[in-house]
Amino acid sequence: MNQQNAHSTCNCFHCGLPVYAGTSYHALLEGAERDFCCLGCQSVCTAIFEAGLQGYYQRTPEGVLLAPPPEPPRDIDIYDLDEVQQEFITRSGDLRDIHLLVEGIHCPACVWLIERALQREPGVLLANVNLAARRIHLRWDNKLNKLSSLIRALARIGYSAVPYDQENAEGVIKKSNRSMLFRLFFAGFAMMNLIWISIALYSGADKGEFREFFYWMGFVLATPTLLYSGYPFYRGAIGGLRAGRLTMDLPIAIGLSVTYAYSTYITVTANRIGAVYFDTVTNLIFVILIGRYLEGMFRHQALSATRRLTELQPRVATVMQDGKEQITPTRAIRPGDHVLIKPGYKVPVDGIVLEGQSAVDESMLSGESAPVSKSAGAKVTSGTVNSNGALLVEVSSALQDTTLAKIIRLVEEAQASKAPIQRLADTIVPWFVLVTLICAALTFLIWYGKSFELALMAATSVLIITCPCALGMATPMSVAVASGLGARHGILIRNGLVLETLSRVTHFVFDKTGTLTEGKMSVAVMRSVSGIEIPEILRSAAAVERYSEHAAARAIIAEAEMRQLNFRNVAVQGFHATAGLGVQAQVDGKTVLLGSLEWLTRNGINPDAGLQAQALELEAQAMSCVHCALGAAHVAVFALADRLRGDAQQLVNELRAAGIAMTLLSGDRRAVAESIARQLGGMEVIAEVLPQDKDRVIQRLQQSGAVVAMVGDGVNDAPALIRADVGIALGSGTDVSVESADIVLMHNGLDKVRLATLLSRRTLRTIKQNIGLSFIYNVIMVPLAMMARVDPLVAAITMPISSLVVIGNAARIRNLFNHEKP
Amino acid sequence: MSVIYSLIPGMMFLGLVFFVIMIWAVKHGQYEDMEGDANRILQDDDEDMMP
Repeated sequence: MNQQNAHSTCNCFHCGLPVYAGTSYHALLEGAERDFCCLGCQSVCTAIFEAGLQGYYQRTPEGVLLAPPPEPPRDIDIYDLDEVQQEFITRSGDLRDIHLLVEGIHCPACVWLIERALQREPGVLLANVNLAARRIHLRWDNKLNKLSSLIRALARIGYSAVPYDQENAEGVIKKSNRSMLFRLFFAGFAMMNLIWISIALYSGADKGEFREFFYWMGFVLATPTLLYSGYPFYRGAIGGLRAGRLTMDLPIAIGLSVTYAYSTYITVTANRIGAVYFDTVTNLIFVILIGRYLEGMFRHQALSATRRLTELQPRVATVMQDGKEQITPTRAIRPGDHVLIKPGYKVPVDGIVLEGQSAVDESMLSGESAPVSKSAGAKVTSGTVNSNGALLVEVSSALQDTTLAKIIRLVEEAQASKAPIQRLADTIVPWFVLVTLICAALTFLIWYGKSFELALMAATSVLIITCPCALGMATPMSVAVASGLGARHGILIRNGLVLETLSRVTHFVFDKTGTLTEGKMSVAVMRSVSGIEIPEILRSAAAVERYSEHAAARAIIAEAEMRQLNFRNVAVQGFHATAGLGVQAQVDGKTVLLGSLEWLTRNGINPDAGLQAQALELEAQAMSCVHCALGAAHVAVFALADRLRGDAQQLVNELRAAGIAMTLLSGDRRAVAESIARQLGGMEVIAEVLPQDKDRVIQRLQQSGAVVAMVGDGVNDAPALIRADVGIALGSGTDVSVESADIVLMHNGLDKVRLATLLSRRTLRTIKQNIGLSFIYNVIMVPLAMMARVDPLVAAITMPISSLVVIGNAARIRNLFNHEKP
Repeated sequence: MSVIYSLIPGMMFLGLVFFVIMIWAVKHGQYEDMEGDANRILQDDDEDMMP
């Protein structure tokens, strides 16, 4: 790339990227000749000028670099079908509402451009862009315009839009979080007002004429707070009791009720001895709700993994009926139907190829990166991608019976059967609750002989002072801080609770392709006959291979580029490829052949004995060999292998040093998997496994008592990721694996696993410290309260302090990575 | 000092009004897109009208 930069003469008029010499994308716009970096930019810019929307370029903020337009979405026409639209539109009839998810929006000028452009289309009643969420809310008249033509209009000006199902995507969890936030707001509002009233009371107003008035004001504020903001605690306490469990909600609910009832009693009877604790009621609700809200934010959204999987299955397919192509929704397809799969499309069903030849990318199922060639008689699986030829397929199973559907069911099963994570705080809570209740009851009984009022007050203060806030905040606060710190270092924690589990992991299971290895072929070894230099051969080979789409071709080109060989200017004539064998072309008047050994012998070339022996040796190490002939002589062998990730070795060494068992789990051939394990210094290898077996392997390990972490990246890893105690996905992986995982490592940093483990250990330590702190607080305060020595002012001061100590201790986690680069 | 008999309930009532307004605003999507509307207001179609 650096070489090319040197030749760049100017910048693209649309996106501002450098324009390389030799490319020729120009357009005459408003009398000026403009240069573009690519065809995409050229056509988008021309369309913008033709629509008279060139004001877009003036509106683009200074310093914002536009990007080349994203690829327009495929098969837009299906969105015109009512069956398909039904899932997205919120209004039936001809007036329809839809939300579109848009790729390519980068600045406010895009908002302007999209809204203007859409409003010019016939039939559009409303086009409203949400810049923050990258969405369009569109209302149109289906009689006047079709959805597909609106999406096409967006594609013309450089935006790729797809319908977006808001109800599903936002989900129940988000809604319940929002209602929690409202309750929190209200409690905060009431608390702030009550603090002023309390300050007035403590500074002497409780002796004067306003005493009654302030008590009543407190009652007015605390009553709705208890009913509205405190409702979740009552629901939790009653739900827990019904299920026969002592939950944290129970002492909170009892404490709140007793405190409130006592204060109300004092207020109503205008009793001059007691004091009111309305401020304690609201404080308690507010502080605990903060903890609950934080916890809610990190709850695992496991539902979406299955949804993403379902999305992998195409919604429509082209069915051949009486020799005619007919677009049909997938759910109407029956076994026995004949389906045409065009190049570049996803396979909608499981079936057997009747006609045609093509390579199918099955990486989603097998994890194998190289496409598998398919011809008549071969099986194809739904969700895989057909790459270069059309296939006519007889449907063997559709919908619920496809392999993809089976993976979906596995994921659901794993989700349902996975034991909830036992949190440290949860194991302590029931005992804590029991002890608190007993202490309160004892206090009441002891003081009952003296006076009923004193007994009630002392018992109440025991309930309040045990202060579940510190305990309730111990875990969520630490997890919140740790998640924030992780996010800054490329560790996305989707399920905060696993932070406690990760430090206990005894067994790591790695997926091979794409996780320990880079997931793409690269040239590992090159051998040539003596007398000819490798760079020279590589230059000719790369020149030929740039016309090929094969995975091996990409590897050879990448190698040539890495060595900075100038192969792009080499003239190549008569390029010809034979599927499954190799390619042929003329370079500098010489014939270049690249491919299998059979390809060379077919073209009348005698294989070189030395190279042949070396190739055999390399193939034994699970590499695939590409042979090269120049002129009429066999001159070189390129051995291709999936290279290890740079940081894989280090991670494996560290885990081994820490005494953690490791297993390599791969869908690939045994020889390949074993060669990778050998390179990493040896570990248990389980090869040639199907997705459902991956899940089972994890289950077996768990049954033998191991705490398992799974690191993976493919759709086939999804059930295993969910089943494992901690699922870790790489950010480059498929959406499905990311949705199934508890922790996602961004920027593909495998060594982030180490940081995540460190973070987890630190978090667990902090949680333990926090629980300890709140116990110390209780050990000091509870006896005092039982002796009826805690007056309202002391309680009001110490309660928030104990919470603040817990928060402050959690905040110290932020310093953990001070020595690591972000 | 008897003014606080009316001032404190008044303050609480006002606070409640603001709380209700805020909930209304959140529920009606006023906070959904903080950037878009801020910029949209600056981008009118009035080039032709400018002197």
